[in-house]
Amino acid sequence: MNPNTITEIVIVGGGTAGWMSAAALAHLLDARRISITVVESEVIGTVGVGEATIPPIILFNEMLGINENEFVARTMATFKLGIEFVNWGGLGEAYIHPFGDFGTDLETLPLHQHWLRAKPAGYGRDLFDFSLMVQAAKRGKFMPAVKNNPKSVLAGIHYAYQFDAGRYAAFLREYAEARGVKRIEGRVTDVALNGRTGQVDTLHLEDGRSVPGEFFVDCSGFKGLLIDGALGAGYEDWRSYLPVDRAIALPCESNGPPIPYTRATAHEAGWQWRIPLQHRTGNGHVYCSEFTSDDAALDRLQSTLDGAALADPKQLYFTTGHRREFWKKNVVSLGLAAGFMEPLESTSIHLVQTGLARLIALFPDKRFNPVDIETYNTRTLNEYERIRDFLVLHYTATQRDDTEFWRHCQSLPQPDSLQQKIEHFSTSGRIFREANELFTESSWLAVMYGQNISPQGWSPLVERFDQAHMIERLEQVANVVSRAADAMPSHTDYINRNCAGQVPQLSESEA
Amino acid sequence: MAERIKKVVVVGGGTAGWMTAAALSRYLPAGQTEIVLIESEEIGTIGVGEATIPQIATFNKMLGIDENEFVSCTSGTFKLGIEFRDWGRFGERYLHPFGDYGFDLDGTEFHHFWARQQAMGETHSLDAYSLNASAAYSGKFMRPDGDPRSVLSRLGYAFHFDATLYARYLRKFAEARGVKRVEGKVVDVQQSTETGFIERVKLQDGRAFDGQLFIDCTGFLGVLIEQTLQAGYQDWRQWLPMDRAVAIPCESVEPPRPYTIATAREAGWTWRIPLQHRVGNGHVYCSDYIDANAAEERLLGALDGAPLAEPRHLRFVTGRRESLWVKNCVAIGLSAGFLEPLESTSIHMIQSGIAKLLALFPDTSFNRVERDEYNRLLSVSFRHIRDFIILHYVATERDDTPFWRRMRNLDLPDTLAHKMALMEAGGRFFRYDDELFSVTSWLAVMQGQGRGPTAYNPIADGLSPSNLTQSLANMRTLIAKTSAAMPRHEDFIDRYCKAAPVTQLESVR
Repeated sequence: MNPNTITEIVIVGGGTAGWMSAAALAHLLDARRISITVVESEVIGTVGVGEATIPPIILFNEMLGINENEFVARTMATFKLGIEFVNWGGLGEAYIHPFGDFGTDLETLPLHQHWLRAKPAGYGRDLFDFSLMVQAAKRGKFMPAVKNNPKSVLAGIHYAYQFDAGRYAAFLREYAEARGVKRIEGRVTDVALNGRTGQVDTLHLEDGRSVPGEFFVDCSGFKGLLIDGALGAGYEDWRSYLPVDRAIALPCESNGPPIPYTRATAHEAGWQWRIPLQHRTGNGHVYCSEFTSDDAALDRLQSTLDGAALADPKQLYFTTGHRREFWKKNVVSLGLAAGFMEPLESTSIHLVQTGLARLIALFPDKRFNPVDIETYNTRTLNEYERIRDFLVLHYTATQRDDTEFWRHCQSLPQPDSLQQKIEHFSTSGRIFREANELFTESSWLAVMYGQNISPQGWSPLVERFDQAHMIERLEQVANVVSRAADAMPSHTDYINRNCAGQVPQLSESEA
Repeated sequence: MAERIKKVVVVGGGTAGWMTAAALSRYLPAGQTEIVLIESEEIGTIGVGEATIPQIATFNKMLGIDENEFVSCTSGTFKLGIEFRDWGRFGERYLHPFGDYGFDLDGTEFHHFWARQQAMGETHSLDAYSLNASAAYSGKFMRPDGDPRSVLSRLGYAFHFDATLYARYLRKFAEARGVKRVEGKVVDVQQSTETGFIERVKLQDGRAFDGQLFIDCTGFLGVLIEQTLQAGYQDWRQWLPMDRAVAIPCESVEPPRPYTIATAREAGWTWRIPLQHRVGNGHVYCSDYIDANAAEERLLGALDGAPLAEPRHLRFVTGRRESLWVKNCVAIGLSAGFLEPLESTSIHMIQSGIAKLLALFPDTSFNRVERDEYNRLLSVSFRHIRDFIILHYVATERDDTPFWRRMRNLDLPDTLAHKMALMEAGGRFFRYDDELFSVTSWLAVMQGQGRGPTAYNPIADGLSPSNLTQSLANMRTLIAKTSAAMPRHEDFIDRYCKAAPVTQLESVR
């Protein structure tokens, strides 16, 4: 074997990030020649707030060769077609940010451009009537995309999952261990660096054992035991853009069959998530400690639960931002060790996944080429920034000024890149997506329109078509969407037929 | 809502002018916007870009053009890639193919597995894994299969064509859709004293044409964008010192090959582009090292058929306009910038200028945000292509002439140095901001010029050696079999898109 090949990989921390890393590396590397070890401590516990995901997770599961039905059943998952945002644009308002597109391009132009032109002429359809995911979500319907007929509107179904993060980690742990990953139970108390290179050499555990490694993946959560604790990678604080800094999580009983979407309700000083699983509903209140107390935040959360609480509330503290260097020397940070952005658009697990994809594309040898590391860091930062912009949009595109917090949000600085996007959209309804940007034109459209940014015009190019004819075409699309949503099975029926989980007898502490 | 643009004036015919007019006539509301194109037969066109890259299919589709008709009307042939001769070292050659090499395995790019097998002693070159290379070198062509499961779906292609015939073809398209062509030479450009916006252009014969949006397709001169609006020019000769070219068509002595040939010379390079009725040739050179006479002689000496016209000499300055859209004027074509045709990007830059203009089409308020975005997107595209062209000159061991010694020691732009370092160290490649050239292109050129990856992604070690050998052997067999079953290039043309005899094509002039 090449003497530069890395043969000892150590993953520190066994939450979602740690086991996703272990599973992916075990699948791609030859475990007979390369040892992969996960060091985790049951004492520490995991954060596991990221219970809702976005569609690219399907690719991650496919890469691992995971069977969807088995995965859904094992993690007590439900399907997710989008996120309903309540009280964001204004109090009493709601819209769904769906996955997938609004209908289909008409005459090579985005459907919404034709719709923008038709609106002032008296056309009354709502934009969301053109989204199959919105229509299915509202009807409580679900099915995966049909694969054998790319022309069918049902081929355009996009979805993700809402699952129990603790069960997901356990599921991946089983996968990884079956492929040779070793697990060490223990708490890291000291990180020894190599005197010459400054790289991490060995982890010392509380019980006296030591774990040497050549390459380390830091999944130790907010504290970043290796990347920051040992290597001092530093942290870029983004609270000036996104001021929320605390959360309380509290699961409750389901109040009925699970709905196929997440709900995010804006509150006086933050917002609350509601994530329906097969066996319970996950809830959490994300808030800004400058504008409300922990007690008040907990009260607010408890008063809005739609079922009996199933556990003690779990309090979390965080600083939105990111590690200045995501990869430093022989340590790559993933998950919360790399950075934190509130789960408003369910991006936490996705960032682990793209970090892994990037790590795999740039997988190092013992020389740790600085160009590879620099490329990883530049591209990761770019991804964080684009997601940040999209999150900031939710707080700034609003008419709310009913509390101190919302008035504060109105005065938040907007990144230039975001300002440009908003200006584009508000003049002509046009949306430009930067290359490699996670959120699509449709996502930007949903949130900007959903939060009342009304374009003053539309692209001149739609005017070459006869108005009445285009309205007919729009109507056709809306009708096809509505009929397709009607024809889909109910979310509950789909789960019961294909992937119902065992009602758990285990206590919540397992998660 | 601000008022719509009702009058667009395109100044300059040629490839850029007619491509723009054709696209605008197809996309702007018919009764609402008048499009005028002013050109002068006296001025003549450069007619660059006889070779294209696969993205042109998007443009044709945008216009709704029938591809066979288009090939036939422009005396076109199909292009599967470019063969580079004498670039890395004297006597060496390689193909830069359209379409990718091999198949990715488990999400990891093919070339890492290939490199691993090379390290194990296997010697099959990248060409053995490229359907394009295999077909090109056996003179085969057919259109790719739409079924993504078929290996034929991976064939990438573009065209060689006669640029003058192309402009004429598009003129017919545009005129049929209401574009008004005016014959005349612009002698004066009038601006608003208040805003500096262009209000009208005056012709030699006294006529004047008002407009709200002006497209400058006047070539190197930049009559509107530079002479009137002083957009400024970024000179890139520090990296690409070629500043002249001489072009001459010659007779075909063989059936047209489905690829371009670009041969490195002592102070530049020559192109060879096979069309149905002739072969286009040209010599791009740096006048610091060779004069026009010598360059012409060198070109004539390299022809493989009898010359069909007098040689035409051209001068240029490589670089781009500082701003491509200034006030109410957008520069498209050579007025926007010039990059030597080494990778056949001229028509592509016209096309992407048009596509971005349509996506950002202004109204009379000329929103700053749209203009800024246009300028940002286009300048990034220019820079990416520039870096890729420079690569050809610096990834070389040639030091046999003062020109090549200078190029070898060039101070590289950071963006290029970074890309080369990534590829060389571990075969890594990342595509930034929708950049045009993909990993296949960078790998083809770097490997072909002796600067291929020195290591591969360790993830490729995950496959067992026997699995690896078997997978790669299967790919080679599949590609060889597929190209063997394809029709010959000339037979395909005869069957689907044969051009009218030359005399008839000429008589349309």
